[in-house]
Order: sequence, then structure tokens, then C-alpha cells
Amino acid sequence: MTNLKRILIPALCGLAVLFSAWSASAAGPLTVDIHGPGQRMVNIVLLPPKPLEGSALPEAPAKAFEELVANDLSYIPFLKLVPASSLLGGDPSKGVGRTDIDFKPMQLARIDLCMTTGWNGNTIEARVFETFSGRRIVGKQYRDVGSMTLAKAADRFCSAFLEALTGKKGFFDSPLVFVRQDGKTKEIYTVLPQGRELKRITSLGGYNLSPSWSMDGSRIVFTHIGKKRHELGLFDSKTGKITLMTRGLGDTVISPVFGPDDRVTVALNQDGVTDIFELDAAYKPKRRLASSQYIDVSPSFDRTGRLMAFTSGRAGNPHVYLMDVKTGEVRRVTMTGKYNTHPCLSPDGRYIAYTHRTPDGHRIFLHDLQSGGEKQLSFGPGNDEYPAFGPDGYFVAFASNRSGEYKIYLTTRHGDAPRRISTGKGQAFAPAWDTSLQW
Amino acid sequence: MKSKWYPVLLFVVAFAMILSGGCATKKTTSTPPGAQVEVKDESKWTPPAPEEKPAVDEAALAAEAEQKAKAQAVQELTSVTIHFDFDSYELSQEARSTLALKANIMRRFPDVRVVIEGHCDERGTEEYNLALGERRARAAYEHLVILGVTPERMSIVSFGEERPVNPAHNETAWAENRRDEFVVQ
Repeated sequence: MTNLKRILIPALCGLAVLFSAWSASAAGPLTVDIHGPGQRMVNIVLLPPKPLEGSALPEAPAKAFEELVANDLSYIPFLKLVPASSLLGGDPSKGVGRTDIDFKPMQLARIDLCMTTGWNGNTIEARVFETFSGRRIVGKQYRDVGSMTLAKAADRFCSAFLEALTGKKGFFDSPLVFVRQDGKTKEIYTVLPQGRELKRITSLGGYNLSPSWSMDGSRIVFTHIGKKRHELGLFDSKTGKITLMTRGLGDTVISPVFGPDDRVTVALNQDGVTDIFELDAAYKPKRRLASSQYIDVSPSFDRTGRLMAFTSGRAGNPHVYLMDVKTGEVRRVTMTGKYNTHPCLSPDGRYIAYTHRTPDGHRIFLHDLQSGGEKQLSFGPGNDEYPAFGPDGYFVAFASNRSGEYKIYLTTRHGDAPRRISTGKGQAFAPAWDTSLQW
Repeated sequence: MKSKWYPVLLFVVAFAMILSGGCATKKTTSTPPGAQVEVKDESKWTPPAPEEKPAVDEAALAAEAEQKAKAQAVQELTSVTIHFDFDSYELSQEARSTLALKANIMRRFPDVRVVIEGHCDERGTEEYNLALGERRARAAYEHLVILGVTPERMSIVSFGEERPVNPAHNETAWAENRRDEFVVQ
């Protein structure tokens, strides 16, 4: 009996502690519902970096890290960075832990979150706390951080932070593939949305268009147009090799994407009309997915491959349609206007972003498949084209010539103020996002 | 006395005016001031070709004429493009008569092979335009087949909106850019 008591009492105490911890967290941690009807602004302050365990603070890298984090967070439309210098009474922290911080002045200043950074030689400790409850939202440690890996550490931390806040991950680690004008040719590049790690993928000459990622993010498929024919281009990141294919594909290879089971789906012309075909593992036409006597192009799948949005001219003008891939059932999605093209299904299959032609140029619109509601996401000037959902289904990248030449911009499915992504010299078109990290 | 000299004076003044007028016309020249006019005579005297021998190589002559005619035909085949309405691949009456001429040329010179290129204006979106350009090229291709050109002598490629002939952003440029081009291989 005493033995049982000895076991039971600590166990019960443990349970009680666990319960109180659970109830504290259930009391309402700060999260941001990016899929809600609207979104609230969240104020965050980056507290001055601190040295750890008696080491000296490496001023230059500490400042650089803070700037990298601030730059990353500036891409998040619902975060507002409040300068630490604006706090009454100066720096409210003596260290990096919860007990080292005086949350009161931040609560008074209506700041929701604060970030602390500690430096111990080449090791960085970064944390974000809720000022109201003192709860730590995220805490990470990065060792052996050098000048080369500082940006990576900042991206990793911001990804973890964003995931803790929204339940969605991958934004800062998911590259975009896009088309860039290089003199008279168009080549394919990749870049992270925060403008880092710009890489050239093709040097084929001619026009390399409509790039798109495989579901696992390891391959890119695209259209190559040489002097007298279209070819299907495939880049494999594991081998670094590019393969061009024509056999059995016909004269035109338009808008290739990876569909169900990571098989390529592409618009081909096999018998006089452009239809959407699924290819087999050897990249030969296997079956016709969408077909009509008119043009059918631009397939886009959700992550499960159950739904396919596409453009079709079957109603006399190009409009966006949705197909249930299993049953083959097709329904028309866009009802207004005369030119609705280039649909992109969100990874979860709920939204379709597409290009709607207006008298003032193309604009990006969003269609909610659940409610049937429509929303304009971009407002020009010039043309806004090629919408592409991010892995979280929250960010939408698109290309616009609002500055005079085409560049890539970032908005959200709420239509937040567009932010330009830096893609280097030359016009940039046709962004497509690697959505593998979310799943 | 005065009246006697008067016509003579008048004559002298008139003559002077004609002279100065003549000078003035000499000054109006198409050469801008300061420009150096270089006159080069590139032509060299070439001895006249020796008289054709009465025994003419008829075959060679015919081949030469044929070659010339073919070059001219190829020039005619490639220089005339056909045009389309916005978001349309329908052949207009004008396009049909242009294609009839092209079919004649292609029937006359059976070893000429043609790539038909379909092009669009910049107002559509890229992927739809690639499909539309294909339909435009195919429309010409099918019409030429009906007019008796063997399909094997033609291939089609769509460039969508990638290669405008007129880079401007107005109705005139767009109308020029919505076209089929015929490239002889």
C-alpha cells in the first residue's frame, strides 16, 4: 500500500502539473489564422542581441543576423516590426530567457511578440515570446554559424516562427522557379521568395517557358521552343541533368505540370486540337484528361491530384474549368469577363487563383470553390499574370509589368500589398512554387 | 538722255538678279552644311561578256532560269504573311487568296519545304497564346493541304507571343503581330 502511494502521489502530482500546463496553453496562445476571413496585425519587436555565458557579443554578425531576420519578417503582411528604440524605458531585457524580460512596457505599447537573440561564439539562440502570457512560441539554437550560413539560420528560424504562428511551414525554404529574359532568349531560374539563392537552371537558348515543380520538389518540367519545334524539358536536381523530349508528343508541348502520382500532364495536339494529356513514366501520352474541339491548356492540380483546374475555349472564349480527375466530371468556374486564363489551384484544393482580363490589363482574381465567392487580388497598373500559390496556400506569387518591365511579386490570398521579389537583371515571368515542404 | 539709258540699266539689274538667283539655287543642296561629300566611283569597267556562242547550252540556261524563278518564288513565299483577328484562328478571305498563291508556288517547286510559324499579339496570356498560335499555323497548314500541297513538306510551330514583328503596344502593332509566317528550309 505504501509502495502504491509512493508511486501514485508523484504520478498524480505529475498529472496535475501536466494539466495546469495544458490549461495554460489552452487559455489562448497567439496564433494567426491565415485562412480566416480577415487577419489581424501582430506587432513584434526584435530586442537587442545579448552575449551568453560571459562571452563577448560579436557585434557585426549579431547586427547582420538581426537585419536578415527583419528582412525575412518584412515579407509577412500581418507582422509589423516595432523598433526596439521606441520602447519606453529602453531595453526591457537583461538576457534571452523569459525571466530576463520585463514584459510590462511591451504590453503597454501593445506589442504582441518579442524576439530575443543570444550569442555564444558561433552559436545563436533565438526565441520569440508572447508579451501577454510570457509564453515562448518558438526557441531554436544554431551552432557553428559562419558568414555563409548566417542567412540560412535566419531563414530557418523565421520558418519555424511562422509555422508556430500559423501552423503552416515552408515559406522561407520553398523556392520559386521562374522564366527570365536573357537577351533574346528566355531561361529558367530558381530563387527563394526572400530573394536569396538565385540559381540558373537552363542554358538552352530559344524560349524556355512554363516551368513547374514535381510534387516532391526534385524535378522541374518546362516547354522548350527551339527554331522549329516544341520540346518537353525535364530538369532533375538529383543529377543536375536536363533532358529534352519530342517523340510521340506532336508539334506542341504547352503548360506541362506534374499531376497525380508525379506523372507529367501537358497540353498536346495529337489530332488537330489542343487537349490535356497525362503522360506515362516514359513521357509518352497515356490518356486524354480534358478534351474539346477548342483549346484546352494550363492544367493545375491540388496536392492530392484529385482536382484539376484548366483553361478551355469551349464556351467561345477562354474560361477556367474544374475537373474531378476520378470521375472526369467538368464544371465551369469563371462566369464573368471574356478572357480568364492560367488557373492555379491552391495545394489544399480550396481556391483557384487565375488571370482575368480587364479593359486596363490582366488582373489576378481568386475563386473560393467552397463558397463560390470571387475576390480581386491585384490591381495593376499594367498586366498582372501567372498567379502561383505558395506551399501554405496563403502567399500568391505573380508576374507584373507595373514597373515597365515584368517582375515577380508576392501577395496573399487576402490581396495584401504586393512585394517585389528580387530576381536579378532582366524581365521575370511565370513563377511556380515548390509546395513539397508543406506536405 | 536719262530715258535712253533707263532700259539698259534695267537690263543690267535684271541680269545681276538672275546671276544672284542662280547662286542661291546652287546653295540649296541636300547635303547638310559641314558634311563631306565623298564621291566614289565603285564601278569598274568590265569587258563585255564574250558573245554567246551560237551553240547555247540550253539545259544550263533553263536551269539558271529555273534557279532564278525559284529564288523569286521562295522570296514571295516567305515575304507575305497572313493575319488574324484577336483570339481567332479563322482564315480571312485575304488570307485564303494569299495561301492560294503560296500553294501554287509550292506545287510548282516540289522540293521546297516550309515551316509555318504561328504568332500572337501580347494581349493574351502565354500558354493560351501558344495554343492559339498553333491553331493559326495549323489553319494555314490544313488549307494548303486542301489546295494540294503534300503534308510532309510542311511543319508547324507556335511561338505564341514570343516573337512580335512590331514591339509597340498599340492596335497597329497587335494586328501586325497576329500572323502566320512561312519559313523555307
